[in-house]
Amino acid sequence: MVQDEGSSSSVTSSPLHNFSTMPLHASPGGAAAPWLARELRSDERGLCLIHLLLNCAAAVGAGRLDAANAALEHIASLASPDGDAMQRVAAAFAEALARRALRAWPGLCRALLLPRAGPTPAELAAARRHFLDLCPFLRLAGAVANQSVLEAMESEKIVHVVDLGGADATQWLELLHLLAARPEGPPHLRLTAVHEHRDVLTQTAMALTKEAERLDVPFQFNPVVSRLEALDAESLRVKTGEALAVTSSLQLHCLLASDDDSSGKDGCHHHHQSSNGKGGDTNKRQRSPESGVSPSTSRADAFLGALWGLSPKVVVVTEQEASHNAAPLTERFVEALNYYAALFDCLESAAPRGSVERARVERWLLGEEVKNIVACDGTDRRERHERLDRWAARMEGAGFARVPLSYYALLQARRAAQGLGCDGFKVREEKVAFFLCWQDRAIFSVSAWRGRRFD
Amino acid sequence: MQPPLPQHQHQQAAAPPPPNSAAPAPKKKRNQPADPDAEVIALSPKTLLATNRFVCEVCNKGFQREQNLQLHRRGHNLPWKLKQKNPKETRRRVYLCPEPTCVHHDPSRALGDLTGIKKHYCRKHGEKKWKCDKCNKRYAVQSDWKAHSKTCGTREYRCDCGTLFSRRDSFITHRAFCDALAQESARMPPIGAGMYGTGGMALGLSGMSASHQLQSFQDQAHSSATTTIGSNPAAQFEHLMQSSTGSPAFRGAQPTSSSSSPFYLGGAEDGHQSQASHTSLLHGNKQAYHGLMQLPEQHQPGSNSLLNLGFFSGGSGGQDARLVFPDQFNGAVGGNVRGDGSEHGNSGANNESVAIFSGNLMGNQMASGAGFSSSLYNSSETVAPPQMSATALLHKAAQMGATMSSGNVNSLLRGLGNGGGTLNGRPAGAGGFMAGESSSLRSTSQAENESQFRDLMNSLAASGSGAGTAFSGGFPGMDDSKLSTRDFLGVGGGVMLSMGGAAGLPLRHGAAGIGMGSLDPEMK
Repeated sequence: MVQDEGSSSSVTSSPLHNFSTMPLHASPGGAAAPWLARELRSDERGLCLIHLLLNCAAAVGAGRLDAANAALEHIASLASPDGDAMQRVAAAFAEALARRALRAWPGLCRALLLPRAGPTPAELAAARRHFLDLCPFLRLAGAVANQSVLEAMESEKIVHVVDLGGADATQWLELLHLLAARPEGPPHLRLTAVHEHRDVLTQTAMALTKEAERLDVPFQFNPVVSRLEALDAESLRVKTGEALAVTSSLQLHCLLASDDDSSGKDGCHHHHQSSNGKGGDTNKRQRSPESGVSPSTSRADAFLGALWGLSPKVVVVTEQEASHNAAPLTERFVEALNYYAALFDCLESAAPRGSVERARVERWLLGEEVKNIVACDGTDRRERHERLDRWAARMEGAGFARVPLSYYALLQARRAAQGLGCDGFKVREEKVAFFLCWQDRAIFSVSAWRGRRFD
Repeated sequence: MQPPLPQHQHQQAAAPPPPNSAAPAPKKKRNQPADPDAEVIALSPKTLLATNRFVCEVCNKGFQREQNLQLHRRGHNLPWKLKQKNPKETRRRVYLCPEPTCVHHDPSRALGDLTGIKKHYCRKHGEKKWKCDKCNKRYAVQSDWKAHSKTCGTREYRCDCGTLFSRRDSFITHRAFCDALAQESARMPPIGAGMYGTGGMALGLSGMSASHQLQSFQDQAHSSATTTIGSNPAAQFEHLMQSSTGSPAFRGAQPTSSSSSPFYLGGAEDGHQSQASHTSLLHGNKQAYHGLMQLPEQHQPGSNSLLNLGFFSGGSGGQDARLVFPDQFNGAVGGNVRGDGSEHGNSGANNESVAIFSGNLMGNQMASGAGFSSSLYNSSETVAPPQMSATALLHKAAQMGATMSSGNVNSLLRGLGNGGGTLNGRPAGAGGFMAGESSSLRSTSQAENESQFRDLMNSLAASGSGAGTAFSGGFPGMDDSKLSTRDFLGVGGGVMLSMGGAAGLPLRHGAAGIGMGSLDPEMK
């Protein structure tokens, strides 16, 4: 990208040798402010945004709010939620940083009713659906999960599937079809779905029951209205000895949220009063740490232990493949920047800029996640993504053993990924787990586990 | 393939679901919580079948249940007290089926109830001694038999083949296999229609890959993949273009007329309509597929492939070249469709279309698409394309951060490369560099960052001041503070970096940014 530009600009040599490689021509590229004499090209603008964001994050992390403010002003003039991928990413992260900075003034936060600025459950559900449509990751993950369940339940007459949340109704519709197409006929399927909101469950119930009826699959739907942290394993009504499958899509990381206070990290000791729309009350159960074990770990481990106690045949876990749970803000920030940049890139190539669906995904789904990761702490921060190796350690600690994902599922997923036209989707298989990637950056991981077996 | 009548009965007998719904009326609560510490008990068949397991030692009377025995023993006025069993101390017991081929022989599938395991064993592995007098059903467990005779003949479902059922679920199960009902072939398309019609892309793939699913589905059902795909775009195309000139032509599938359509579509999609067509494309998908399933039987377009091509490649005018014709199309099953994956903006809709189309486009398209997309993605390292992806920008920034002349690496910038984490292969230079520096990133504290920024700023300031003054001189006509903000790229990039480090002093000066001219005085 080396271009020597002897343009009207009086800058002949720039201080930073690196920056000198960037051409300073006056071509009107990108959406720059109208009064700008020389407009930035999109990549120049992107690089600036990155620098600005990093500076701002460092400033916010150190409590230098004036510096942060200045950086944010800069960012605001360059970023835009309707621009190119980098601009949108910058807009989302800038908002998150601003929220975090505002935590120093809790009065402002409350007066602005900040936590309620998040999307309503309906909007969130819509955004999730759009995400499913635009980017194939979660659908592929769902297909892999279904295939794993199908294979695990190969000769069972009664199948009980427990969904810990996150799976879309279309995934279960597909499972119904897979089961109905079994050579030995469909089993009796019992589906227990856990979700925060009752109406989502009701809608799913209606759609699924209708379809099962049509396919002649004996079907029973049990809704469990509960947040995952408050879930009681008994309410799942798992019968002893029945064939149980558990699926969880992007849910387990909420269990890692705990009251670990971000003391001194960012200089602000005020705890955010309410969450940013992901869910209101903070659940303070199981906070007593065992010796040497942090509260967050113990809650997740207790949950996994309870799950193991149910003796499931297969547990399929889909999680974000990123480490967004580091305590220092800057570390989290950089990791999140890379991760969501990849996702925004994916959206950029999946939908046009004016697409309403894409905007919804970016604002109501990804933007909210970013806000949660950057601006929240303690029990409010529920988006505690961790990479598969850490989850694997937890699962193994709870007594689960790994189950290789079906090769057929891998082929299916690869075929689907290839068939989607966009070059970026890849499915990578590694140590019996699948990684759904965008351009070599793993976005989601899918792994399968089994309960105890004595043979 | 309809099982003859005796087998029918066998099926019926097996159809009532095993252990847990013996009672047709209210289900007993059998859901005891799964207990990982439960004691696993394996009883012998003889024990399971024995009717009076519990024997009183005083009078040798046999009882089926332990509680009954205990109650009986009280009557003997035995000297010691009968203690209540402490539910907390008593270990929960789970039972295994002695039949080795049975699923419940495995301890992880043990049943929780003794009565349950006894009934299970009798039902599954035992002899059916009880027979209903009204119908011919036989039962191994007396309670099953009793329960059945209560409902036998009371409520009936009749299948079209004439079989009577008293239970709804067995009726449903039977209907699934009954020959007298609609034949298999008739059953398959409705399933397909249902798949797409119920708002889901049934094979678990996104809407974009619906035709791919469709294809695989069709592969199963008809083994003529192309027909599906062929009719697909026709329906979609028609949906999108209300006043489509080509639609009847599409149906007729004539090469010449269809060749015009892509252009039309391309024209329609360019500009403002792209957004509309994009969303309608997604919705159109579902509708198209819904209708689609009915098509395969009747609709056998000869030049189906053409339709596809026309439809999908019509994203922009430049893609005429991509319009290749049917023969290749048919051959390229499951191939990689890259199409316009890399185009942004206006071609977004085209992305959709190509994506939806899935794997069947021909090599030509792929080649041109491949060339195009590869140029976009691969070039981030070398040439500056008009639109760099955010990820590419991050790489680049990380690269630049890595080669900072000050030698004090901006660890955050390097961290950008780290954050890339699971990068495969070799992102240019920076990646390897990043990986090596990951530890440094982790250990960097805030203070370190600040000092680094400061160092950076100093080094930049030294070289930057000259440029700064020259710079501010360069744009006399503009608002100074704002101007300098903008121009940081050439000069101020480094200043931006140092912004944070200098305790915000330069920042406070001037509106949103660094007054270039004021930088010097602020410099420490």
